[in-house]
Order: sequence, then C-alpha cells, then structure tokens
Amino acid sequence: MTHVVTDNCERCRFTECVTVCPVECFHGGPTRLYIDAAVCIDCGACVPVCPVRAISETFDLEPGQERWVEINRDFAAALPVIRAREAPTAGAEARRIELGFTAPR
Amino acid sequence: MSTPTAAERTVLGACPHDCPDTCSMVVTVAGGRVTGVQGHPDHPFTQGRLCAKTNHYEERVYNPERVLHPLRRTGAKGTGSFERISWDEALDTIATRWRASIAKHGPTSILPYSYLGHQGLLNGLTVGDPFFNKLGATVSERTFCDSGACTGYIMTLGPTPGMDPESFRFSKYIVLWACNMLSTNAHMWPFVMEAQRRGAKIVVVDPLRTKTAQLADWHIPIRPGTDAALALGMMQVIIRDGLVDRDYVAKYTVGYDELAERAADYPPERVAEITGLPVEDVVKLAREYAQTQPAAIRIGVGIERSAGGGQLVRALSCLPALVGAWRKPGGGILQLPLWAFPMNWPGLQRPDLLAAGTRVVNQWELGKALTGESKLDPPIESLFVYNSNPIVVAPDQARTRKGLEREDLFTVVSEHFITDTARYADIILPAATQVEEDDLMFSWGHFYLTLNRKAIEPLGEAVSNVELFRRLAGAMGFDDPFFHRDDRQMMLDSMDWTSPALQGITLESLQATGYARLALPAHDVFAPHAEGNFPTPSGKVELKASTAAGGNFVLPVFRQGSNDHQDGSPVDALPTFTPPRESPLSNPALAQRFPLSMLSPKSHAFLNSEYANLRRQLGQSGPQHVIIHPVDAAARAIADGAMVRVENARGAFHAAARVSADIRPGVVVAPLGYWVSLSEGDSTPAALNPTAYADLGRAPTFSDNLVEIRVASP
Repeated sequence: MTHVVTDNCERCRFTECVTVCPVECFHGGPTRLYIDAAVCIDCGACVPVCPVRAISETFDLEPGQERWVEINRDFAAALPVIRAREAPTAGAEARRIELGFTAPR
Repeated sequence: MSTPTAAERTVLGACPHDCPDTCSMVVTVAGGRVTGVQGHPDHPFTQGRLCAKTNHYEERVYNPERVLHPLRRTGAKGTGSFERISWDEALDTIATRWRASIAKHGPTSILPYSYLGHQGLLNGLTVGDPFFNKLGATVSERTFCDSGACTGYIMTLGPTPGMDPESFRFSKYIVLWACNMLSTNAHMWPFVMEAQRRGAKIVVVDPLRTKTAQLADWHIPIRPGTDAALALGMMQVIIRDGLVDRDYVAKYTVGYDELAERAADYPPERVAEITGLPVEDVVKLAREYAQTQPAAIRIGVGIERSAGGGQLVRALSCLPALVGAWRKPGGGILQLPLWAFPMNWPGLQRPDLLAAGTRVVNQWELGKALTGESKLDPPIESLFVYNSNPIVVAPDQARTRKGLEREDLFTVVSEHFITDTARYADIILPAATQVEEDDLMFSWGHFYLTLNRKAIEPLGEAVSNVELFRRLAGAMGFDDPFFHRDDRQMMLDSMDWTSPALQGITLESLQATGYARLALPAHDVFAPHAEGNFPTPSGKVELKASTAAGGNFVLPVFRQGSNDHQDGSPVDALPTFTPPRESPLSNPALAQRFPLSMLSPKSHAFLNSEYANLRRQLGQSGPQHVIIHPVDAAARAIADGAMVRVENARGAFHAAARVSADIRPGVVVAPLGYWVSLSEGDSTPAALNPTAYADLGRAPTFSDNLVEIRVASP
C-alpha cells in the first residue's frame, strides 16, 4: 500500500507535492509525476496540496484504478527524482479548469 | 491546507498518541461531525503532515465497532459476548465489587494497568494515579518504554533536554541509533534531511535495513544487543587515536580515567567479533564521529530492549562529551526533550496519597500476578485496564490470557474498541477519542506545548479519561475537591506556569495559536551544555556515575510517583557491555534449539496495537509477517510468502514469511501490534517475548529473544 499519482496529473504537473514531501519520493517525466512506493512513508502531506487532487492513497482508489500502483512503481524507477517545484506544463491551467478545479487554492 | 467550505469549521487539536512527534492537528467539522484531519501547516515540527496512522483519524472516531456504551459480559471470558448497561449500573457494579475486595483482602488486591495509550497531561500517563494512590491499590510499575534509557541517561547527564531536535539541521554527522525515524519519529526527518543536504553524513545503526537506513549514507547492520560493545569500541579508538576533546573532558566530566580503562577492554578486533561488524567499520565510525563536529546521536525507544540496554544508553550518553560535541548547536545526544517541560509530577500523580510501603508490581509480571505464580498476598482480585492493551503489547501472552480467564477475577477495561484484552473484561467502559475531549499535550520529541480542543461532543456515552476517574471517585465516595476539578483547572495544575520555560505562554494564548514553543533559546543557538551545566550531582557529565551507588531504580514517574520497593540491585558505575541473555554467542545451548534472534518493533501504520483493527492500516501493513534473510529461509525451505510458525519455549505464532536481504542473517523481524483475534492462530509476537528485565530501569528485553522458524503445517 502506498500513495499514487493518478491521471489528473497528466498535462498539469503543478509539482506542489514535491514541496511538502519529506522523503523526496516523487519522480517525474515531461508531463506528469509518479511516486516511488519504496520510499513514500504515507504521510499524506501531498494529497491536499495538489491543485487537481491527483494523489490518492491506494486504499482510496476507485475500482478500476488499481493500475496506478504498477504505473507509479515502473515509471518512478525509470525517471529522476523531482526535488523542487518546477513550472507546470503549458496547458496546466486549461487542464485544471477542464477537470473542474476552477479556483486556485 | 484545504480551505474549509462555508458549512465547515476547523478546530485545533493535537495528536494523542505515544509518539515523539505530538502533531498539531487541524480538525475539520461539518454539521457536528468530524470530516477530516490534517497536520497544522504552520507548526514548525508538524509541517502540515500527519502519518499513516492518523491521516484518517475520523475513521477511528466513527468506526462502527467503537464501544459507545458501558458493556457487561454475558458469555465466558474471552468470547467477546457483552450487553449494554447504563453508566450508573457499571459504576455501581465496580464500586460494589471493589468495596467487597477491599473489605476481604485490602485495597492492594486491586491492580491498575495502563501506559501511554494516550499521551495527554489530562488523559494520559498519570490520569488514574491520584485515584489509585488514594484507593490504596497495588502500584503498577510501567516500564514499557524509555524507563531503562531514562535511568541510564539521567545517571550520566541528568534530566536535561540536551538537544533541540530542530538543531539537527546544523549537525555535520548524525547517528540514528536503533531509531527507525521514518516510521516512529517521521516529523524529525526533515531536519535530518536538511543536514544531509548541507553535507552531513547520516549513519543508521540497526540490524534491519529500514526505510530510514535506505535513505541514510551508511547503514551499520549490528547484531542485536551488542551495541554497547560498539559504543565502548568507539571510545577505545577515540582515546587511542588522540581524538578526545581534552579541554571539554577536563572541565565538564568526571571519571574519565576510569572510563578510559574500561574502554581499553574493547579494541576494535574484539568489538568486531561481538557485533558482527568489520573491524574497519568500527574504527571508521569512531574516527568520523569524533572528527566531524558537531555530531549528534538520536536514540530510538527500542534501544534499551536487551540485557544490557540501560548501560548501552549510558555509553552513548558519554560519547558526546568525549569529543566535545556539546559545544555547538547540532551536537550532543537526543533522548527525551520532555525534560524541558516544567511538569508538576507530584500534582499529576499525588504520591502523597500513597500509604508508605504500598506494594509495587511491574507490568511484565501481569501474567504471573494474575495466575498466582507471583504468590502475591493478597492475590489480585480485580484488574482495571485503561490506555493499554496488554495482551498484544506485554510479554508472556499465554500466561496473561490464562490469568485473565480466571472466573473470580473482576476485570474492567476502558477502551475505544473491544480489543483482545477487553474481550476478557467483566465491564467495558466507553472511552472518548481525542476529538471528543480537551487536553494539553507535552512532547517527548520537540519543544512545543500543544492544546487539544474538543471538536465534537463525545459519541454515545463515551467519556474522557479524566471524566472516567471523576465518576469512579464519585462512586467510591472520594469527596476531596481534587478529584472533581474541571479540565481547565487540571491543565493549570499540570505544569509550573511560573517556570521560565513557560514565560509568555498561557492557556488563553494556546487557545488562539494551538501550540507554543517553550521559552528556550532558539534552535540555531541551542547548546545548553557548551560549557557544562549538566543537572547531575556533580554538575558534570558523570562518565563514572555517582548515582550508581544507590543501585538500580525506576524513575518514580513510571510508577505512579512511588519510590518504595525500588529494585536496588548493584549497578556498575561505568558503562559496560552485558551480552544478550539469548544469542548464539552468549547462549549457544539455547541457540541449538532456537538459533534466530527476533526483534518485534512497531509497525509503520500501527501505534502499538492501535489501528491494527482498521482496514486502511491493515491494508497498508498486510497480515502479520516475519522478515527473514534468504540464507536462513533457504536453510528452512521457506519461500517468500509462505506461512510459517515462529516459536520458542515461551510460545508460538504464525506469520507470512517475507524473505529479504534487508535483515542480517541470523536475525528475524516480526512487527508488533497485530490483534490476536484478527490473526492466524491464537497468538502474536508478544507470546515469544521474555519477561526478563534489562540491566537498568526494569526496561523490557523484547529484542533479546531467540526463536526458530519453520514452515507451518497446513
């Protein structure tokens, strides 16, 4: 069990999560982030700070979403750690609105 | 932090659990119901995070299995059959039964049993002490954690906070000794990581490659129970290589020459044989530690859990002085910052109410006390359990259960859930959770005082522990107003508010802010022992301890304030290495039958046995498991995931094998906390744990434990 980054991160990549992670467990590609389950300590600090609620404890995944466990594990292993906040993707704001998260926190 | 909606309000609370981090919690309430909790984003130690245990505290509060009304047993003991009764009936039953016991056998036939199932100054460690002291019950000696470490630390350094955990960010060398920080002290990790980013080296001494060890720069996988030899070996190298801070030692320590003579018995070659570490690692650790100042040692709670655990803490407490680590912020040893809090222990525990000479029973003796093997006169007729679940956390599980099965024993348990222990109760009383009560929280892991405000009214007929003891006092006819103070008065009475440490802090200011840092020097200048000033009899670091002359003792705070019937057995005034009672090297005969050393540390997602009945945390942890090295697994034809039976002469339990090279060969790890009633078979790791005391403070020896493992028969 661990926390995972789910589909809302895709094309957003706001990276607020990495600013609160105490163990640097986020890894990233160009369009989104992943959590390294071997490092995550389930502190949950990243969950409320994500502007698009992309992060979930696996316990809370909806049926059919279990694939994110494997996806996070595999991509985290292959991609570098993201330690500091980076600029969101170019279309992040539009994507946020599209996802129904209209107001910044 | 999520912004509350219009219908929501937030209440500042504090985590009640037995953990050094004591988080400031923001509780969200809507329509009289707690909808969520978060770590306070502005609290310098909490930093907006909680943990795998408490992230969904509301699931604990509203769990359908919570006990919300007094219950009376209707079936055989241990079967868990109960029916609802009223509080009046429950209190009347208890008072009637206790009065009869007192008339027949005297009040010591009643035994209280509690520890830190709650850490509040109101509802925690001391909540029942004045009541049971006044009642005249047997004194319960509660040495579950840190008692041995406290005795060893105080003999050496006195009751000093020593270091501010936040000042670890300035450390250049950090040794996390028997401390799985990411599971048991996670909110301190950011300070350690900051030091690491600034170039500090992080070293972890632990037989298991924990997550903490994985993030460290150097993992030292020591044999269990041999750490004192490593510490003495470090001293030998430091002295041999001329790395001693001679000025600091001359001015601020006593007993250096005798200590040097003792350390000379531990050359690296001998230490390597004892600890199972390479000679060069012993030398390297000593040299790096001495030459990289300021250096900090953080010890974990489990450090004391072998035959020589207390003197191990003595040895580690001597090291910083030898190398002058105390001179700067970020140097020294961190045991319990709680020594900084100006507690009114006599007011909290009321030892003045105790009749002189009242007998004391240590909590490892529960099984023997209940079954009569302790030959107590009078015998225990009634047991009152609160803030604890001894069947899961205490050793001697089988005997404890046998004792609890006694039909003539009257057992009362105050609880959130029908735990393994509560299943044996005659009466169960419903306890409130933290969001249903007020409290004031000190900390044994940082310098913040935190106020917990009630967020909702108690569910059902649950009551806080302070209210429980008000009701019991009423039922027993204690009309002294002390037993009927309100929560606010109890908070005012719990500390010395005139102390410099509380300057500028009041209950009113805490209501506004939720928390306050003690009025101590800031963490970037916190170095209280840069020039000695240790609160010991000599005012110096007692490398040779003058208080050893009085013999072994348990701090009165761990025994309801009593100082009667102390252990008193002889104590070596110099730090020493006592081999484990149970290890292949020290006890080859026992190791013939039981060759593996077992550790039973805390689970990442449980707080001892709390949360081990909740689906989320059980899902995260998986079923009871035991970590075993591939070599040991292969020798026993144990495949990863296989169900195995772990046993020794004291008991046996079943677990799923996790085959992993993260543990050193010859050692196995079975996390503690799983409930018997939710486990395969009828017992858990505590069934194998010994009742023997460590050398100081009657600490447990749960990590001094030989076992054998085999594939379970289908």
